[in-house]
Amino acid sequence: MAVFEGATLAEARAIVARYPAGRERSSVMPLLYLGQSIEGRVTREALREVAELLGLTTAEIESVASFYTMIRLRPTGTHVVTVCTNLACALRGAKDVYEAAHRASDIPHGAELSEDGVISLHEEECMGACERAPVVAIDFAYHDEISPARVTELIQALRRGEVPAPSRGTAPRDFRHASRVLAGLEGDPA
Amino acid sequence: MSEDLVTLTIDGKEVTVPAGTLIIRAAEQLGIEIPRFCDHPMLDPVGACRQCYVQIEGQPKLFTSCTTTVAPAMVVRTQNTSDEAHTAQVANLEFLLLNHPLDCPICDRGGECPLQDQALAFGPGESRYREAKRVYEKPLHLSALVNLDRERCVLCARCTRFCDQISGDRFIELYARGASQQVAIAPGEDFRSPFSGNTVQICPVGALTATPYRFVARPFDLSTADSVCPHCSAGCNLKIDMRRGEVVRQLARDNLEVNDGWACDKGRFAFGFPDSPDRITTPLVRDHGLEPASFGEVFGRIAEWTEGKRVAFLSGGRLTDEESYALSKLARTVFATNDLDHRRHLEGGELELLWAAGLTGVTYERVERAKAIVLVGLDAEQEVPILHLRIRKAARRGAKVFVIHHRRTRLHDVATHILCRPDEVAGLLAELAAGTSAAPAGLAGAALREAGNDGVMLIGAGALDRPGAADASLAAASATGARITMVSRRANDHGALRAGVHPGLLPGGRPIAVPEDRAEVELVWGQIPNYRPGRNARQILEACARREIDVLFLVGVDPLRDFPDAALALRALRNVPRKVVQSLELGSLEPYADAFLPAAAFVEKDGHFTTWEGRSQRLKPLRPAPGIALPEWEIFASLALACGSDLGFETLEELQEELGGLVAARESVPDWPPSPAPPPMAQGLELFTYPLLVDEGRLSEGAARLKAALQEEAFVEVHPQDAAATGLAAGGRAILRTEAGQAELPVRVTEHIARGTVFVPFNQPGLAANTLLSGTFATAVTLEPAHAAAGPSGGPADAQPEEVPA
Repeated sequence: MAVFEGATLAEARAIVARYPAGRERSSVMPLLYLGQSIEGRVTREALREVAELLGLTTAEIESVASFYTMIRLRPTGTHVVTVCTNLACALRGAKDVYEAAHRASDIPHGAELSEDGVISLHEEECMGACERAPVVAIDFAYHDEISPARVTELIQALRRGEVPAPSRGTAPRDFRHASRVLAGLEGDPA
Repeated sequence: MSEDLVTLTIDGKEVTVPAGTLIIRAAEQLGIEIPRFCDHPMLDPVGACRQCYVQIEGQPKLFTSCTTTVAPAMVVRTQNTSDEAHTAQVANLEFLLLNHPLDCPICDRGGECPLQDQALAFGPGESRYREAKRVYEKPLHLSALVNLDRERCVLCARCTRFCDQISGDRFIELYARGASQQVAIAPGEDFRSPFSGNTVQICPVGALTATPYRFVARPFDLSTADSVCPHCSAGCNLKIDMRRGEVVRQLARDNLEVNDGWACDKGRFAFGFPDSPDRITTPLVRDHGLEPASFGEVFGRIAEWTEGKRVAFLSGGRLTDEESYALSKLARTVFATNDLDHRRHLEGGELELLWAAGLTGVTYERVERAKAIVLVGLDAEQEVPILHLRIRKAARRGAKVFVIHHRRTRLHDVATHILCRPDEVAGLLAELAAGTSAAPAGLAGAALREAGNDGVMLIGAGALDRPGAADASLAAASATGARITMVSRRANDHGALRAGVHPGLLPGGRPIAVPEDRAEVELVWGQIPNYRPGRNARQILEACARREIDVLFLVGVDPLRDFPDAALALRALRNVPRKVVQSLELGSLEPYADAFLPAAAFVEKDGHFTTWEGRSQRLKPLRPAPGIALPEWEIFASLALACGSDLGFETLEELQEELGGLVAARESVPDWPPSPAPPPMAQGLELFTYPLLVDEGRLSEGAARLKAALQEEAFVEVHPQDAAATGLAAGGRAILRTEAGQAELPVRVTEHIARGTVFVPFNQPGLAANTLLSGTFATAVTLEPAHAAAGPSGGPADAQPEEVPA
């Protein structure tokens, strides 16, 4: 295995062991997050290796991975910025927030990854924080009631290497770190 | 225990159905058709296409009738009586058609497409959609057999649900979501399932198409007939489509008692053999060379050759019941010989006798309802694929499934496998019968005992290669109360056995050596001249090799390819003075045949095939036989006349009447002596073999796409410990040596084979495994690594084991 090897392979096996015998396939999502924490996205190799770990077909894994926007299958920046453009956020100007974020990130037209590789930006469906619209998530941490000016500041901070504090809780260091937390693992990778 | 019934009203008509019935099924019972795409009676409800909306009185919203179960006094209104349901269905069809291309004129489904039909019957004539339609690269080749045109797909998930719920081969899945959702396969993975063709058949649009039929015909060009698959003993009901007299497609036909609605890919796609360019359709006789002759001439020559001579018959497993019966009667009454056999090698003992007499009583339905199933020596997916699906269905319903075999089978995700060496089968069956140990065999026994009448034991030919296993399995069945049956692979092995193509058994499983049983047959046949049980297939070939037989009939069989001792078969053919071949073609028998009798293929004859269960199913002729080929029973009857005798029937009906009385299931069978103790097995490695589904068999000839999708090159499979002990590594090559011969094959190392055993497939490209065998399907073997330079016939230096890098 190329992605899951050494200490990572041990962590992957520990994740599989969290679930009862016969229900190992429940560990698909945390395993995908673990792979994402290693490579910054889920590569084809990681999909194959998760399938092998669980005795499933690659198609079964990719079906899950392609369904969720939290799992990134394409080349991805250090940070992932998502702007909710669903109804409540749209009514409160999310489209302008998204466009400001796009400009601030220096992303080529039609792309979603900034040229310096720091920011991946995409629109997101409802993130469940309508009362704080418009909402922006940076590496899954929420920033509430964001204006075009504020999102520009946030992205400039990210591009300077800072991690802006979210509206609630603590921010993960970057997208890989966030993925590791979502895999249910503490501390840094071995 | 009576089922709870529910009475409801649909479109003003009352109907009473079992509780739990879906509304769409209840409507069908009233003859009310609700349009649908995702609904399929064999698949779990999903409600994906939203086409089957109905109105339920008292409910504020419409319901999908394919996911909603009936309730007492429910009042349902379909599109026929509810404007709301009608409007919703029309709107939904318009929605499903938004991105659907208007390529019906070049789509394989055009003319038999549920989307086309239902759009006409229930949909709007016009679409309001004016924007560009979604386009995809077309087609995606999911395998050499199955293509996917995604723009035609309506995302009903029938294909993915089939792979998930029925075959368990989850190679295709729904990817992504929303407008991007699509059926997909992982790059680099093939749709390598022997059931892949079913997804094409149940696709309600033209999104999935089968390569062999792509752009071949329009449905209105086809003449269609119902038939039965000739490939294995599953007996799948098929619909055969012909265009200008040539078979172009085979589809599964629904028969809930047999194949549900499924067929395997071999049954679906290996249909070219009756139209093979090698087919011979006139009789031949050898004077200087093999030359065409009339049937009369050839019969005359055969009558001369056989006059007062020692005659023997070998047949394959694909004669109809009627032809098998005619053969049995011909051999015994005209040629006074009991030297006839359709088997290759079998130590079936009393179990075989029960099977011959129709007393085993296991059916597909019994398997489906079973609470515990034990397979012994049977790789159901590869040997009888539709039985494999039924076992999976039983497992889904909660049956406990155990497999006693030498290597793991595709039931591995639903069954406990008990891997063992061939000489350990009888011991495991004794452990199973006792049912007390906590080991898997004991648990299997306990599960069977608990299931009682709902326990089933399925005994494959793989277990019947050594004496003793059949008796041990019968003893296990009687100890646990399980029902038991043999499961043989070829389409009409069971029919041939029941009709008496067997050295010791007359029709109906009547032992020829038992006077009372013989007398029942003699009432119909007149006196049988020879009472002594004859030689089995192996003994016939040995007698031929010793020049103790003068004329050998080979009816639909090629011992050079089929018999598990290629060298013996060759000696037999060389030493027996006269060989009469009756088949579709000569193949490898061409140098040996003295006469050839052209037979009709299964699409050209009337008759019956008997499934492994004992169910006799009718084949109907779809076209006349080419040339002057004849159904085999007619050849046998005419040959009898030419030899100055008479089989006593001139029409198939007369034959069937005679046969029916003799093969009807009997009350009991006479006592049968226990099998002799099996010879001890050598301590070293034991090679075993059986045919895989898609192999180099005659009936798969010409099925290039099927082979491209599913066939594997020959390989040798060994346990990691045996590989380490013999210095083999996965991916390397090994030299196998047996008493009969040697071969060099690529190595597969797997934990899923019993230690001490070595598997090679019987007949894959690269190895005819019968060149390694000495009369049975298992033999002692030695393994050593092959060195690239030494080649397959490496000298003694090769005996040095050497580490091969993985």
